[in-house]
Amino acid sequence: MPSETLEATGDVRELSYAEAVREALGQAMEADERVFLFGEDVGVYGGAFGVSGDLVHRFGKERVIDTPISELGIAGAAVGAAITGMRPVLEIQFSDFVTLAMEQLVNQAAKIRFMFGGKASVPMVVRLPGGSGTGAAAQHSQSLEAWFAHVPGLKVLQPSTPHDAKGMLLAAIDDPNPVLIFEHKLLYKTKGHVPAEAYRVPIGQAAIRREGRDITIVGSSIMARKAEAAAERLAGDGISAEVIDLRSIRPIDFTTIAESVRKTHRLLVVYEGVKTMGIGAEISAMIAESEVFDFLDAPIIRLGGADSPIPYNPVLEKAAVPQEDDIVTAAANLVRRGEA
Amino acid sequence: MPVEVILPKVDMDMETGTIEAWHVKEGDLVRQGDTIFEIGTNKAVMEVEAPATGAIRNIKAETGVPITVGTPVAWIYRDGEAQDAVPARAPSPSSAGSVPDGPAKSPPIEPAIATSPATAGLRATPLARRIARQNGLELAAVSGTGPRGRIGEADVRRHLDERRRCASPQAALAPVPAGALTEGRLQPFSAIRRIVATRLSESTRTAPHFYLTSEIEMSAARDLLRRLAARHERIGAPKPSITVLIARIAARILRDHPVINASAEGEATRFHENVDIGIAMERDGDLVVPVLRDAGNMDMPAMTREFARLRDGMAKRTLTPAELGGGTFTISNLGMYGVDSFTAIINPPQGAILAIGRTVDKPVGRDGQIVLRPMANFTLSSDHRIIDGVAAARFMADLREAVENPEVLL
Repeated sequence: MPSETLEATGDVRELSYAEAVREALGQAMEADERVFLFGEDVGVYGGAFGVSGDLVHRFGKERVIDTPISELGIAGAAVGAAITGMRPVLEIQFSDFVTLAMEQLVNQAAKIRFMFGGKASVPMVVRLPGGSGTGAAAQHSQSLEAWFAHVPGLKVLQPSTPHDAKGMLLAAIDDPNPVLIFEHKLLYKTKGHVPAEAYRVPIGQAAIRREGRDITIVGSSIMARKAEAAAERLAGDGISAEVIDLRSIRPIDFTTIAESVRKTHRLLVVYEGVKTMGIGAEISAMIAESEVFDFLDAPIIRLGGADSPIPYNPVLEKAAVPQEDDIVTAAANLVRRGEA
Repeated sequence: MPVEVILPKVDMDMETGTIEAWHVKEGDLVRQGDTIFEIGTNKAVMEVEAPATGAIRNIKAETGVPITVGTPVAWIYRDGEAQDAVPARAPSPSSAGSVPDGPAKSPPIEPAIATSPATAGLRATPLARRIARQNGLELAAVSGTGPRGRIGEADVRRHLDERRRCASPQAALAPVPAGALTEGRLQPFSAIRRIVATRLSESTRTAPHFYLTSEIEMSAARDLLRRLAARHERIGAPKPSITVLIARIAARILRDHPVINASAEGEATRFHENVDIGIAMERDGDLVVPVLRDAGNMDMPAMTREFARLRDGMAKRTLTPAELGGGTFTISNLGMYGVDSFTAIINPPQGAILAIGRTVDKPVGRDGQIVLRPMANFTLSSDHRIIDGVAAARFMADLREAVENPEVLL
């Protein structure tokens, strides 16, 4: 994998996920003056989750722009800037607020290249902090990535490690198409090895986080981390789980999933978004439709978010999305009993 | 949803059962409670009733093949239920005898075809189906151990392994000339044969047998049988046989020999309160042992009647598992085949079994003279873990005394 090669040759430090994103933004802005940041409180305040930090001091208010509270306005301005040759990187303070920007993202950003026969393109990046677990209740905790994965013309990424957060953001900024990056709020403080140089993690390539024989567990973002932890526990129980971190849900790396299921014969898909009509349904259907179907030795099982708004009560909030224990139980049942 | 017909558990500790015969064929209409098949278990054959009213579809269990308890063997489609959910013509698997009048339209079974109608309605994972297809294996022959009897990869692989072991024993025994073991016909054990094989192997492995043989004069017993026959005829009881008379005598003296009327149970001896005498019989090549319950308290007419009932029930296969197991002592008589004497294997967990040879006139010494007397050999096999030689010898002494003077006892 290209990113691993870079990691081996470069100077590698331990950074938090938020620091890795900030480093990518800084390097992109240093390398290309068309790149600018745009969003609510991304400037002096440093971002609602501290991601942009001191960038306003390094690059000035012209390139790190605090905007009014109008997601539709921000998104529309970004689309316009992108069409005219800029490389806007926009932050939606909580991904829940993206509902207000839907027209610009879905009807404009995603369509313009096609509506103009390829004569215009929209090279913009939207960063969206999402997910539950912070006690922020139903309007600040959703996982809405599947909505956008349903729209041709958009790319949707969910990096799970500081390494991927940096490398995928740089790849997204290079990309001539609109790219949405969903960053899980609980991952911002997690740490990992990050090369100092500006490297790219290719979009549309899943990572096998752990090799295994008995079951394939597919997840992205924080669910990939939980799946890895679950796999470690399963190994202690004699179950060898292969963990695939999707990293990119559109385009999706179906080949890696299919090859893994062909080997393990069992598939568990884990995602934080609402289970019904979600990413897991798509992956399950892709496998069921493919020639890998003939290699399944158990039903495909989805673990997804509850059919409920995220509750404010912290106990219920936790219960509403898959946890490490749920993954361990579901995987063990699937391997041992052939059902969830 | 169609109603599943599963292979029921009709006996304690039953793990598999064998369908002896189907009473219905594909597409037959059945009413709830109708007998749809017979199941062979621990020495009994039970009738299984339809759990619902409707049309029988997708009969998928072969007769004569062990099937895991709980496995669906057919479905009943109630009135109005779509039958195209599963192909309607799914025939019974290969055993032609199981559906004697099966519809002529049933296509020939082609093991290599994935959509073989015989596998329709079966629960099997795609991978199990794929491996079966690649190996030309009919999935209906595989027992599924997954949820609701689903066949998984492991079930198919286990079945293939077994098939390989059965099909090519010479591979495992290299020095044997090729072909020496593969000629002839390989017939899988019947359910009863499997039970017998398991139990008797266990008996010879775990119970140290020893044998005491007595040659006993049968004059008085024969004389008594003649008179009993006349009396039974008057009271409408069946004609008594030597086997029943010996059972009656043994039942009587066993009350005085609790250590013989006992079973080994772990590291303990269980002394039975009742005397329940099993009589070894043969049915269609299988060994079955119906039990005369509480034989110690039966008179001759009662025992003769009960013996006749058991013999008829066995032939008609109407005996329940309870009537075919759980004796405290067993009698096996091969005298009618001209066998002089033999040693029997103890029927576990019982402590002893009595083997009876033929009665034949032999020269014996009586009062200084050589005279001919009807004599028979009785051989007691005892489990030395719970019965010592002297205890067994005392029983044999009382047996001789009783058989030679039966009227004293009866």
